[in-house]
Amino acid sequence: MGEDSESPKINHSFLRDYVTEADVISTVEFNQTGDLLATGDKGGRVVIFQRETESKDESEELGESGEYNVYSTFQSHEPDFDYLKSLEIEEKINKIRWLPQQNAAHFLLSTNDKTIKLWKVSERDKRPEGYNLKDEEGRIKDISTVTSLRVPVLKPTDLMVEVRPRRIFANGHTYHVNSISVNSDGETYLSADDLRINMWHLDITDRSFNIVDIKPANMEDLTEVITAAEFHPQHCHLFVYSSSKGTLRLCDMRESALCDKHSKIFEEPEDPGNRSFFSEIISSVSDVKFSHSGRYLLTRDYLTVKVWDLNMEKGPVETYQVHEYLRSKLCSLYENDCIFDKFECVWNSTDSVIMTGAYNSFFRMFDRETGRGVTLESWRESSKPRAVLRTRRIYTGGRRRRGDVGVDSLDFTKKILHMAWHPAENIIAIAATNNLYIFQDRVNAENLKT
Amino acid sequence: MEYKVEAHRIMSISLGKIYNSRVQRGGIKLHKNLLVSLVLRSARQVYLSDYYSGACLNAQSEREGNEWDITDSEREKFPPSATECDRVESTEEPQPNEQPEKEREYRENDDEVKSDQVDCTSTLQEQNQNSSLDSVAKVSSETPPESITEPKESPSDSAVAERDSTPEANGESHQPPKPYVCSNRKRSAEESESGDSPQKRTKVASSNAKEDEEAEEMDTSNVSNLITIFGSSFSGLLSKESAKPEAEAEDSGQICCDQMLKNLNPWSTAIVAF
Repeated sequence: MGEDSESPKINHSFLRDYVTEADVISTVEFNQTGDLLATGDKGGRVVIFQRETESKDESEELGESGEYNVYSTFQSHEPDFDYLKSLEIEEKINKIRWLPQQNAAHFLLSTNDKTIKLWKVSERDKRPEGYNLKDEEGRIKDISTVTSLRVPVLKPTDLMVEVRPRRIFANGHTYHVNSISVNSDGETYLSADDLRINMWHLDITDRSFNIVDIKPANMEDLTEVITAAEFHPQHCHLFVYSSSKGTLRLCDMRESALCDKHSKIFEEPEDPGNRSFFSEIISSVSDVKFSHSGRYLLTRDYLTVKVWDLNMEKGPVETYQVHEYLRSKLCSLYENDCIFDKFECVWNSTDSVIMTGAYNSFFRMFDRETGRGVTLESWRESSKPRAVLRTRRIYTGGRRRRGDVGVDSLDFTKKILHMAWHPAENIIAIAATNNLYIFQDRVNAENLKT
Repeated sequence: MEYKVEAHRIMSISLGKIYNSRVQRGGIKLHKNLLVSLVLRSARQVYLSDYYSGACLNAQSEREGNEWDITDSEREKFPPSATECDRVESTEEPQPNEQPEKEREYRENDDEVKSDQVDCTSTLQEQNQNSSLDSVAKVSSETPPESITEPKESPSDSAVAERDSTPEANGESHQPPKPYVCSNRKRSAEESESGDSPQKRTKVASSNAKEDEEAEEMDTSNVSNLITIFGSSFSGLLSKESAKPEAEAEDSGQICCDQMLKNLNPWSTAIVAF
């Protein structure tokens, strides 16, 4: 939707505010080089953006102010129906993960609640011309009109991006898939649902190995579910998974075929002073990410982000409060279901800064070296192209400055759940409902909408 | 008293969420329903703890003995787990933070409700899961006869009911090993299997799905049973049937009857059975 012209007679603002449920972005992911950015939405569509590499301005130094433009759009998943259980399967894309690039084509995995698909994204800029038996439109020629033979030649044509499904990994999960993670070996990946984690080979779709199963023999004994899982970035035998109880388990696949028994368990004893009805909910880990170095883990629960050292299991090494002012409002957040929101968290390329989302279109960045955090806003009205992001503050007491936002005026429908950080540069992609914002660490920031 | 009102409100909201999750697109979300059931259980404990505000003794640090001071019929069920508790405790390192944690669960809006609900289950750790699960299985197989004859709740048993609910609730909200007491009553047949470690092996995708679907069918039948209960809103919980989740919903009934709340034991585990 482009910018509506300011017309004094007709107020178009209501059109701007109307958001189709299917357009809500549900996942964002850069590829390994950062040139491609994929987003998935609730309608099952995937949109891939590509960074423009040509710098038009000669005076630009190395490093382009490359904009991200739409490269390809395709429908990844369709609404499905499980006839046996009479359950609808949502087409919402839960996660996208890129495979490391091996040839000219790009591959990505996208998953909804039940099915994982491997897509091949390739470019075509030439096409063969001069067939003997077919004419230019593809119709079969009458043989009698063929008087001589010629060899078809490749002629350049407009760039076409083709996306084809190459593998469909179906029927691997009874519960809802929440995570996928590609292994550093380049051949396997894991998919995690609420109770099980499966390992697949990228070439084999009819078989997967179950590597974690926490389903109790009696479902009434169920006390925790798996909320996220990820492979170690360098060690192909290690992976971590988080649970709804706030624990992280590091598993080593060399130990046994079934990794129910963890190698390490990371948990922090609960602070008894903060106990409430909702303590269990807010301790549930919504996202876990390995640092690029592989040494640290980043987790997000409802009110905090925590950095864990793989060598220390008894507690996190750093804890950052994302929105502690919400602790007194947990009951109303429970009523409006906001307490169940699953925020993601990301590292920057050097593991020195961590970022996560919050409400009111705010997101937070924490500098690990100084321990300080800033609140930034991604909202169309306040961000013009090339505008500088300014920091925001939530007013929780003390001296109130102009521009501070009161806790009661926070808009809980504007939540930043999904985000991604460029693997090498300081470029971030923030998904705010149906809009995608891309910010660069330059004097000129960019604003891009879908 | 505000905490009681608050607890009741949270319970109503939680039940509403569970009911609505049925009609949501995409099927029942296990994670969310598990969290909602945990909140529901906490709220119920607070709500019912009112009975104990007077009856609570100096039992904050006591974890055995007086807690099990209950009627004989209940005792038949509990002693095996109580002894198991003691055994586990003796091997367990002291966990002082767990105990006050349990106490604080009943604190709402700074109203301190001292209760003796802290029991040995709160100290159970995951490491003992297997051993206690096995011993539980033995308990289960011994107690099915008692399970059927569980006495109907009556006001005089209010003290009993709370004790009954607590260990089971504590177990469910903390560690796996202790939910059996209640589940005995429902699934005596399945309990005998719970002692077996589930056979786990790498599975072909198709057989994996099939096996899970069988388990899932059992779960969805719980759901439909639960729905008939909830279908008549809170009054559905009045059902006095001794703990079968197939309790029929009664059309009439008072909302929020204290007596009815004691019957929350059976279906609370049914919720977990999502």
